[in-house]
Amino acid sequence: MPKNITIFTSNTCGYCVMVKKYLSSKGATYEEVNIDEHPERQKDAYALSGQLAVPVTVVTKQDDSQQVVVGYNLAQLAPALT
Amino acid sequence: MSENNPVHDVITIGAGPTALSAAIYTTREDLDTVLLEKGVIGGLASITDWVDNYPGFPDGVAGLELGERLQKQAERFGAKIELAEVTGIHPKKGLVEVETTDGIKRAKTVLIATGSDYKRLGITGEDEYYARGVHFCATCDGAFYRDKKLVVVGGGNSAAQEAVFLTRYATHIDMLVRGPKMRASEVLQNEVKKHAGKITVHYNTSTDEIVGQEGKVVSVKSTHNNKSVNFPTDGVFVFIGLKPNTGFLAGSGIELDEIGLIKTDTKLQTNLPGVFCAGDVRSGATMQIASAAGEGATAALLMREYIDHLARTPQVHT
Ligand SMILES: Cc1cc2nc3c(=O)[nH]c(=O)nc-3n(C[C@H](O)[C@H](O)[C@H](O)COP(=O)(O)OP(=O)(O)OC[C@H]3O[C@@H](n4cnc5c(N)ncnc54)[C@H](O)[C@@H]3O)c2cc1C
Repeated sequence: MPKNITIFTSNTCGYCVMVKKYLSSKGATYEEVNIDEHPERQKDAYALSGQLAVPVTVVTKQDDSQQVVVGYNLAQLAPALT
Repeated sequence: MSENNPVHDVITIGAGPTALSAAIYTTREDLDTVLLEKGVIGGLASITDWVDNYPGFPDGVAGLELGERLQKQAERFGAKIELAEVTGIHPKKGLVEVETTDGIKRAKTVLIATGSDYKRLGITGEDEYYARGVHFCATCDGAFYRDKKLVVVGGGNSAAQEAVFLTRYATHIDMLVRGPKMRASEVLQNEVKKHAGKITVHYNTSTDEIVGQEGKVVSVKSTHNNKSVNFPTDGVFVFIGLKPNTGFLAGSGIELDEIGLIKTDTKLQTNLPGVFCAGDVRSGATMQIASAAGEGATAALLMREYIDHLARTPQVHT
């Protein structure tokens, strides 16, 4: 399991809900940053992903390396959790 | 019937309003039902900001909430939702085999309820700036455009609805409509008019190119009455219609109409035995959540009838 997971979300984003459901189904815990509630954190999501889109999932592994997954992308999310 | 590859009574492809409604009915009829979903449970309804015309919600309902309620109701009666993409289907030995990213699954009946996806413009800059200034989902990406200028392309229901949604973030929206009027319903056109301070509608205006600088979208090049017009903007949201999700059916032999929607008979059955179709992806559908729910329920009852008939008819397996 990773050391830490942060998800950038918004109030209305259906794909964000799916990422959260997927992580919960795998028993993973995460910190959520909602950019509607914290607009000042938008720039962090953009800096990490290079995209103006949520969800952005930042997985910090045990060795402190980071993997950033943009969107609801199971092909990338599943291996990122191992 | 093997333990690790059981034969389900019903497999639905997709878990949008059509499939979830069907599953409420099939599970209550005690049919073992699995829904396969590659995207968002609740389908397009779940990525729609607000739904005002679904019966039973006099004050309207958030699309995301409606999707979650449908899911809960289907799961309450035993529907199983699996996150996987279907890549092909074919009939085999009186059953239907469904190829998925999670392996092959088998069922007595399959309901294709894959709906549709956003159409693209196919112009310069669209792919290059995808998700970095060009977007197809306002509820997903709109929050990045707080106090920014936007262009919305399209004049139908989705474009009108999403333009109104985006006013909660953007300072101004130029709406580019190709024809001389909007195709959106009267109600939605009136909503757009109510936001006239923020939305300017430009008719007879084509969208020709999305222009960027240093990795960011800066303007949209258009043509209006044979003259070039430039719209400075921070981002572009494209809502020019939908294309049916039927690509995975290539080679299946399922008959499609001229625009790629699936043909069915009056019993919502395709030309393949045991394969039914309902909702937005069906030729002749009215593309609304209420009708999707109605078609889902109808398909469920017709699949029940088909399964009962199978049980009464001796099967010759080839
Ligand atoms: C912006 C917008 C606003 C709208 N607003 C309204 C409104 O206010 N009121 C209203 O009544 N209707 C509205 N609609 C229309 C409504 O959303 C659709 O009519 C309805 O969602 C159709 O339901 P469906 O289940 O047939 O298809 P969908 O909702 O499209 O669901 C199909 C599902 O199948 C999945 N899928 C596709 N291919 C595969 C595959 N190969 N394998 C696995 N899964 C797959 C998709 O990911 C999707 O989740 C709106 C549509 C849009 C785009």
